Amino acid sequence: MDNYLSLLKMVIEIGLLWFVYYGILLFARGTRGVYVLRGIILITLIFIITKQLGFNRINWIFTKIFALSILAFLIIFQQEIRRGLANIGQRRWSRFFLKEAEIISEITTACFLLSKKKTGALIAIERETRLENYIESGIEIDAKVNSELLITIFTPNTPLHDGGIVITGERVAASGCLFPLTQNPKVSTTLGTRHRAALGLSEETDAIVVVVSEETGGVSVAIGGRLTHDLDRESLERVLSNLYRPDKKNRK
Amino acid sequence: MNNWIVNNFWIKIVSLVLAIITWFYVNEELIKEKKMAKQLYKSSVLSHIQNPSYDKKPVK
Repeated sequence: MDNYLSLLKMVIEIGLLWFVYYGILLFARGTRGVYVLRGIILITLIFIITKQLGFNRINWIFTKIFALSILAFLIIFQQEIRRGLANIGQRRWSRFFLKEAEIISEITTACFLLSKKKTGALIAIERETRLENYIESGIEIDAKVNSELLITIFTPNTPLHDGGIVITGERVAASGCLFPLTQNPKVSTTLGTRHRAALGLSEETDAIVVVVSEETGGVSVAIGGRLTHDLDRESLERVLSNLYRPDKKNRK
Repeated sequence: MNNWIVNNFWIKIVSLVLAIITWFYVNEELIKEKKMAKQLYKSSVLSHIQNPSYDKKPVK
């Protein structure tokens, strides 16, 4: 009985540690902090291994480096840490109460109005992977998602129309954001920069990226490095509602 | 359910490995601490047995 209890405690403790690590890694994935975090994890692993093997001098050096790197991490990434802590109280929990259908409807309406006018648009919708890096490359907006705002942003010859926008939860986080272009050699050479950027972002993150073509007015969606062309309104709504909450897929 | 497992699969695996390593490392440190505390207790008890007048109050 005692053995079962201690086993259960071990599983619960490892589960809690897993949850914390998973949260930290997910948070760091979309930010500059990921490289530093990788370094810290590597140093920690070497520190533990050298301690187990009894390499006391090497272990002493890594103890010092480890202490310094933690301090450096706190100083360099104090903004991200502050934002992350603030998000624990706000963002993640508020997701349970999001009016997803409303947001999807606003995005779809904006896309098809832009499509009619043949105005190009690039909209990235954040899912689990943080898009902080890309938000930082643009101009912060932090406004509620609505179709009029999206159309206004992509109106040609306005200061914000270049680049893409990032939607985080129910807010338009930023516009004029720079997304990475796909490096995939198999991608058709006829694809424009906007579509390449959509593919590039979807390859690097789990974001849903909606593109409106300036030339044809076609609406496409990029996810996981795959581009689906020329969607109609119903298809776009269906794709967004399926992808926005992946759990829905398996519900019957 | 399947989607929940596959989504960010490698991050989940890395987190699990880190969690297991951390748990065993901390567990070992705690065992060492307990052993050390026991040894200290034993040595203080032994010294008390060998020299019982050690902590007696001085007679006025």
